[in-house]
Amino acid sequence: MEEKFSFPSKLRISAIVLVIIGLAAFIWGFISNPDQAWGNLLLNNFFFVSIAVGASFFMSLQYIAQAGWSAGFKRVSEAVVSYLPVGGILFLVLIFGLGHIYHWAHEGAAVHDELLSHKSVFLNIPFFSVRILLYFTLWIFMAIYLRKLSLKEDLEGGLTWFEKSEFYSKVNIFVIAVTFTFASIDWLMSIHPHWYSTIFSFKAFASAFYHGSSFVILIILLLNRAGYFSFLNKSHLHDFSRYIFMLSIIYGYLWFMQFTIIWYGNIPEETIYYALRWTTPWKTLFFVDIILNFAVPFLVLMPRTPSRNKTVVLIVALFVLAGYWVELYTQIFPAINPENNFGLIEIGAFAGFLGLFILAVATTLSKASLIPKNHPYLDECLHHHF
Amino acid sequence: MEKQAYIVGVYDDEEPLVNAAKKFKEEGVKIHDVYTPYPIHEIFEIQEVKSRLSIAAYIYGWIGGLGILAFMQYAAVLSWPLNYGGKPVNSFPSFILVTLVFTILFVTIMSLTTFIGRAQIFPGKTIDIIDPRTTDDKFVFVFPQEGTDRKKVEELLKSTGASEIYDR
Repeated sequence: MEEKFSFPSKLRISAIVLVIIGLAAFIWGFISNPDQAWGNLLLNNFFFVSIAVGASFFMSLQYIAQAGWSAGFKRVSEAVVSYLPVGGILFLVLIFGLGHIYHWAHEGAAVHDELLSHKSVFLNIPFFSVRILLYFTLWIFMAIYLRKLSLKEDLEGGLTWFEKSEFYSKVNIFVIAVTFTFASIDWLMSIHPHWYSTIFSFKAFASAFYHGSSFVILIILLLNRAGYFSFLNKSHLHDFSRYIFMLSIIYGYLWFMQFTIIWYGNIPEETIYYALRWTTPWKTLFFVDIILNFAVPFLVLMPRTPSRNKTVVLIVALFVLAGYWVELYTQIFPAINPENNFGLIEIGAFAGFLGLFILAVATTLSKASLIPKNHPYLDECLHHHF
Repeated sequence: MEKQAYIVGVYDDEEPLVNAAKKFKEEGVKIHDVYTPYPIHEIFEIQEVKSRLSIAAYIYGWIGGLGILAFMQYAAVLSWPLNYGGKPVNSFPSFILVTLVFTILFVTIMSLTTFIGRAQIFPGKTIDIIDPRTTDDKFVFVFPQEGTDRKKVEELLKSTGASEIYDR
């Protein structure tokens, strides 16, 4: 089956326009309200990088489970992962604005603060920057290697490349598990340097996996709307919605786990995180997060009929991704911008990153055959039925 | 219990069985029942049999969830308010854990009860197994002898690859 994605020039132009809007928003933001602009840079960086990492995890999971049903869609996750180099460069920009986001990065913050000086062995700007480099090097290396194996499989066929991919997927999962744990502690949890939650990085990881898969599913459905993936049938759709459904439960479970334990323990050091988010400007968003990420997919995708409907799954995926933005917003901004003055910077910054993301993903998609040619399970995917 | 008289068609594999079911549907011959060693979902689709058990389970979920929440509200807030470490009496987050676990238990037990009730299974019941080999490696179609066009059924069974046709 030969199918190639061609990058429509309309999409390319609108993506470039989005990038320009983003640039303008950032320039205006850095002049008018630098704290908020840096916060948005972190938010959108984390949003798209974690989606790429989640997609990388999703892809590796399909390999090690030897999943047949998703074999035809592998190129989409590969394309999402290819955003990582762009995300890495933008993350390095963040190093120049650490003081605007992280309290521990202020000069002299640790002097009169016993806890911060204790943590300063780990939380200091040089080591923080080195860690960013390390994470991205590992992720990009794994992504490029897996992509190379996949393309070689297209050319030469045979089981060798699949077996190699399977092995390196295991390596990739270990790499992601360790690095992403630290990455989420570094980038999100250290915004509140006095607060800690032992389940935080696990929740961030599950959330990245959840929203990464949702984004991959969203792209597959959009491509299907544009006329690609003609073999996509109800069984594929049902599997996609099962993925979202299952991960929404995991997300809700972890969200509630972190909340209940802190609520029950009632230690001021820990409850401060929720106390901040439980007061007026944040309270609504705090609940919107769990409603969008858990209640909506859980209730909508539970019955059989809507979970086999393309439009319904597409809309649910959009809701879930909006929920991710809200989740990150309520995680990052209460410390940076307590008044919650949501405005044009937020919209423009997201638009800019979305434009870059579209450019990176669509370019990679158009470079190789949209459907892998010699994947051993491809036939099972094309006739998927249960 | 008097045994009903049946025509039984035996197949050796899943694939001819599924194709045969499609063929019977095209010809407009109703298959009374199908027995297979393992569930075959295509048969459900072809036969247009739908289970309402999932709807029952959904309703049980609501009953169980709301019921246990109401009970905890009654027990911990209305009937016997106690002060546990200064927590509010109506400690909603701690109710959720019990709600989750109880709902699962309630749905499981009630669905099982409903299934047993509908299938009329009880300890000591003698079950009339049409063909004991369906628990091993054979796939079986069953037609009642009364009200079936015998000739047509046998012809269709043979043409679709049934390995054996017998009366019982």
